[in-house]
Amino acid sequence: MSSKESCRNELRTAIRQLSDRCLYSASKWAAEQLVGIEQDPAKFTPSNTRFQRGSSSIRRRFRTNEITSTPPTGVAYVSTPVMEEDEVIHGDFYLLAKSYFDCREYRRAAHVLRDQTGKKSVFLRCYALYLAGEKRKEEEMIELEGPLGKSDTVNRELVSLERELSTLCKNNMIDPFGLYLYGLVLKEKGNENLARKVLVESVNSYPWNWSAWSELQSLCTTVDLLNSLNLSNHWMKEFFLASVYQELRMHNESLVKYENLQGNFTFSNYIQAQIAKARYSLREFEQVEVIFEDLLRNDPYRVEDMDTYSNVLYTKECFSALSYLAHRVIMTDKYRPESCCIIGNYYSLKGQHEKSVMYFRRALKLNKNYLSAWTLMGHEYVEMKNTPAAVDAYRRAVDINPRDYRAWYGLGQAYEMMGMPHYALHYFRKSVFFQPIDSRLWIAMAQCYESEQLHMLEEAIKCYKRAANCNDTEAIALHRLAKLHRELGHPEEAAFYYKKDLERMEAEDREGPNIVEALMFLATHYKAQKRFEEAEVYCTRLLDYTGPERETAKNLLRGMRIAQSSFPSMDVEHFHP
Amino acid sequence: MRGILGGPDSGVMEDDQVILDPNSNLGMFLRRCILAFNLLTFEGICHLLTNIGIYCKEAISSCSSYELRRLDDSGNDLESLSEYENMDLNLVFKKINEEMEARKRATERVSFHLHLPKELSTLVEDIEVFADPKSEHYDKGRESSSYASSGDLLRDFDPNGGVFLRTNWQIQGYLTEQADAIEKHGSSFTLNAFELTLRQLQKLAPELHRVHFLRYLNSLYHDDYFSALENLHRYFDYSAGIEGFDFVPPTGCNSFGRYEIALLCLGMMHFHFGHPKQALEVLTEAVRVSQQHSNDTCLAYTLAAISNLLSEIGFSTTSGILGSPFSPMTSVGTSLSVQQQLFVLLKGSLKRAESLKLKQLVAANHLSMAKFDLTHVQRPLLSFGPKASMKLRTCPISVCKELRLGYHLISEFCCEGSTMTTDGAFSTAWLKNLQKPMGSLVLSQDNSSRNNSNPFLFCAQPSSIPGSVLQLVGSSYLHRATAWEIYGSAPLARVNALVYATCFADASSSSDAALVHVKLVQHLAVFKGYKEAFAALKIAEEKFLCVSKSWILILKLQLLHERALHRGHLKLAQQVCDELGVLASSVTAVDMDLKTEASLRHARTLLAAKQFSQAAAVAHSLFCMCYKFNLQVESASVLLLLAEIHMKSGNAVVGLPYALASLSYCQSFNLDLLRASATLTLAELWLSLGSNHTKTALSLIHGAFPMILGHGGLELSGRAYITEAKCYLSDPNFSVSDNPEVVLDPLRQASDELQALEYHELAAEAFYLMAIVFDKLGQLEKREEAAASFKNHIVALENSQNVEDLLLSV
Repeated sequence: MSSKESCRNELRTAIRQLSDRCLYSASKWAAEQLVGIEQDPAKFTPSNTRFQRGSSSIRRRFRTNEITSTPPTGVAYVSTPVMEEDEVIHGDFYLLAKSYFDCREYRRAAHVLRDQTGKKSVFLRCYALYLAGEKRKEEEMIELEGPLGKSDTVNRELVSLERELSTLCKNNMIDPFGLYLYGLVLKEKGNENLARKVLVESVNSYPWNWSAWSELQSLCTTVDLLNSLNLSNHWMKEFFLASVYQELRMHNESLVKYENLQGNFTFSNYIQAQIAKARYSLREFEQVEVIFEDLLRNDPYRVEDMDTYSNVLYTKECFSALSYLAHRVIMTDKYRPESCCIIGNYYSLKGQHEKSVMYFRRALKLNKNYLSAWTLMGHEYVEMKNTPAAVDAYRRAVDINPRDYRAWYGLGQAYEMMGMPHYALHYFRKSVFFQPIDSRLWIAMAQCYESEQLHMLEEAIKCYKRAANCNDTEAIALHRLAKLHRELGHPEEAAFYYKKDLERMEAEDREGPNIVEALMFLATHYKAQKRFEEAEVYCTRLLDYTGPERETAKNLLRGMRIAQSSFPSMDVEHFHP
Repeated sequence: MRGILGGPDSGVMEDDQVILDPNSNLGMFLRRCILAFNLLTFEGICHLLTNIGIYCKEAISSCSSYELRRLDDSGNDLESLSEYENMDLNLVFKKINEEMEARKRATERVSFHLHLPKELSTLVEDIEVFADPKSEHYDKGRESSSYASSGDLLRDFDPNGGVFLRTNWQIQGYLTEQADAIEKHGSSFTLNAFELTLRQLQKLAPELHRVHFLRYLNSLYHDDYFSALENLHRYFDYSAGIEGFDFVPPTGCNSFGRYEIALLCLGMMHFHFGHPKQALEVLTEAVRVSQQHSNDTCLAYTLAAISNLLSEIGFSTTSGILGSPFSPMTSVGTSLSVQQQLFVLLKGSLKRAESLKLKQLVAANHLSMAKFDLTHVQRPLLSFGPKASMKLRTCPISVCKELRLGYHLISEFCCEGSTMTTDGAFSTAWLKNLQKPMGSLVLSQDNSSRNNSNPFLFCAQPSSIPGSVLQLVGSSYLHRATAWEIYGSAPLARVNALVYATCFADASSSSDAALVHVKLVQHLAVFKGYKEAFAALKIAEEKFLCVSKSWILILKLQLLHERALHRGHLKLAQQVCDELGVLASSVTAVDMDLKTEASLRHARTLLAAKQFSQAAAVAHSLFCMCYKFNLQVESASVLLLLAEIHMKSGNAVVGLPYALASLSYCQSFNLDLLRASATLTLAELWLSLGSNHTKTALSLIHGAFPMILGHGGLELSGRAYITEAKCYLSDPNFSVSDNPEVVLDPLRQASDELQALEYHELAAEAFYLMAIVFDKLGQLEKREEAAASFKNHIVALENSQNVEDLLLSV
């Protein structure tokens, strides 16, 4: 990896160039990474590093195996030369246009630059026009007041922009920023293949524009597409790959990439948040919570990615923490999709589902492709027993991203609630197809098969087996497996699973009726098999419990003793004269 | 106001002369536009202006490259607008009108000239449609130039034009029409082109869920299982079954959605793809859910679907599926056979449909009831209780009654008309369609008679009901034809098929139309010989060329097989027969009827090759299969074949019981023609038992003659004539010289008919007998003639080996 110092220099130049072109979110991202690079302690006074101090605690706690500190070897990174500014004379017009742009007067900015032919001016003019179109589009969406998310308004500038940019592109009079914009326009127009090509060209010639990378990422929906990209080996590519892997649900790969990146960008909040998200997908909630707490300590006014944190808090039912988070984001920025989502979670945990739905709707109004809000809204509708609305919400989530197993699962649940288990099976199948490692999905599907309408127990057993194989934390699967086998009259298998279940419950120190049931079955089973020693062990364990089982155990023991003593007693009689 | 009213032709006349009548259609339209314009909100006007601006910009920019450059350089559409305004202010106004007409619906939700059902009018919104994505660009240029020069009023109604606005209602109509078209033309519809159109529609009108349904239909008819499944689920997820199910009259929608309809559709989809078990599971769930939600309409349809499934697909048992406690069978008990369950289902479904006044379903149920009556004997449903008189017969009267009841549907439609319109404005176009193709010849190549009218032209008349009603009535004719075919009345079967082909060709689905052609061609083959049949087949092939496993292909194989058998091309016959067998068990599902036919033909080929034991074995196993799946009509013909096999192998005594059994089957199912041919076989058997049985044989033949001559084909009557002659000749009391014509006349008839069929073996026999008779009469010249003909046929039969090799090598 190129040295930290060169990274730093590249980023510094890039930030200047990006903000000069009003690509603010890209420059924000770059700046975050710049500060995230570990400073040379020799050069800086402690006050400079104060910003980075807080994160050390979590690192101590969680980085025991220190994979990340070993720098990856053998990877040669191309060093893309930092682009030289071609227009030394900015021109006063450009300055005026940029000021207008900064005041969000996009059309005015475009108008000022109408006769400028420099690449930078052309880019800014086109970009301003694009944003003006976007702004108008959003206004129209509200004016036309279509049903939620069902608006067909389009950015009116796209056609003319595409025409102009393609001419420029053909004549080779376009810089990487123009290519980025061209890719953006193509993507909106639905020409994804060309968009991908153009974006790859853009990031290969100017890798520091994170906006271009993220557009490219949204176009890489499959691994094959990703592999077909011809990307040069810049360190920015690592960020891209990590993010794509996460989107493609290759969480472990993504995690490895991010942890590698953390070697150089030790204090990057961005990377930390992404790691937290990956771990969230791997359902490691404890660690996620710690990471987010740490993140909030360093960056208390952060709203990005905080919806994931709220999901964790919701799952763990940390009421006060969620409430605190909700109040904090509402003070920071009330009208961000993430804030609305967090507040929706907050109300949901309080059991106020109508209010929760309202906030999710607001989040969707702000960003109608906000995937998790659709899914969460579906959950709320399920809670409110409004299944058609829930189905609608889930289906939209699925149509935005067909790999969203949660929404498929939600659809299945909704149909199961309506008493259509056979129909629901289709959705459960989809859900386990996209997330085969989640035991809850398998269990849901198995329960569907088990329902009295279908009563397909063999299939249910198959599903429970899959569930048991993928780390079933609540240990439902083993118990159900044992029970089903017992009902179907397979005592051997039933005993096997009861034993496993028992071992597991012992390991986790759990108590409950399941233990008694398992012990009871095993005792009777081994007694019937004439394996008295094992039966006796289970019987004696049963004696520790109160209730009718204890009496039964006593009876069993007595019966066994008689059965056992009958043989030896004969012998005894023989040998005693 | 005046300016606008005078707008369309103000170029010609003065401003004062407003000729447009305010009460005319156009006048009303314009007045409404103005009203709507006045009611428009400020934002609405802004949108209108933007739309006009964009339209002008695009029209101009595609006009000339010069303007294009200028436009882009300025990056500002105001200039173009001002330039545009110089051209003709009125034209701009006209555009406003058109825009507004659509806009009005979006803002006010009031439709003036479309009397829509209320919940549909809320759907009405304007959408832009690109009529043809490929020609769009070209057309835009052309259109804008014509616009600039002449300002043609009709420009916007040009169906090939570029961007134009359509109401949601029109799109619904378009979709409905496409749905009918897909169903009618099946896989001749191009998958991808239509998919492209649908995608575009979906993008432009995301709230129009029916597009998903069309996509489902499209993939269904192209056998794309996964995409069909996906789109079906998507459609019902979005619409909750409330939108766009044509059959259900829009009653008050309950808030729970109507997901049972989704189940019904899913079940039918599985049925279509040949997964009967899954289909039955899904439909059982549909029954349960519709009972839960007390959706009686859906329940009736589901029951009808289940009974259809049971009757179409050979289930040997339904236990475990319908036997579950949730099935509709609980009231009757679960120990019933499949047929009995089917009967109960049909009855139940019919009763429900009648009480719910679902006329189409009632008609469809009557039809399937007729089908059931046709092929199943009525048995008492319960084995206990007072012994009802067991009449083990099918009842042609009840079949006719059911068919007639189904037919009443169309007359009811004629009287009630508009009350049955569940889907909007009623169109009388279908009545016109009914009259139109009357003149066209059935077997002519006139397949362009289908009206090519643009769906947008008769605005908002997408009524799909008449089409489906016609289809139902048509299929009642088809059922009649089949019924008569089975009962053995060839002329009546032919008449019914002809009626169907002439009157219902327009409304029928392509497979039904093909079926009718098959019936007619088969008729030709049996009564006119192969030459004409193959000529007709050629025409039919050209008409229905598309499908791989089609009726036409099967027909061709059948004809080829029969001709090969008659000519003695046994290898060819076997090859054709094998091909039929392959068709019967395709990947998707086993077609029981076809399978039966294939093995029946196999047995007949073996019989012709004189491999009696093998033929008997095949026929025997076939009989077992027919018995297992309750194919009783087929059993009768298999038994008859067995009798023939035994007769030809010289075991007439063994053959007799089979012939008698077949006869009794025929009697109980009223299969008159088959019965006649069974009688003939019986007579032949008696005859081969010895000369002292000739009297019995002769009386049997004479009894069967009316039926054979009236309805039988060439082969059957030829055989009958020969047998009759043989009876006379073998009768020791009969002398040829006394009464030669008694023998010669039938033999002449037989030889004529068999020559038309090219049935060499029997024709040779006829000529042989003739020669003997002439010999006895002493007419040597005629004897030589007959003998020469005999020799010709024998040589043809012997040469068949070589000819066949030639044929096979070709």
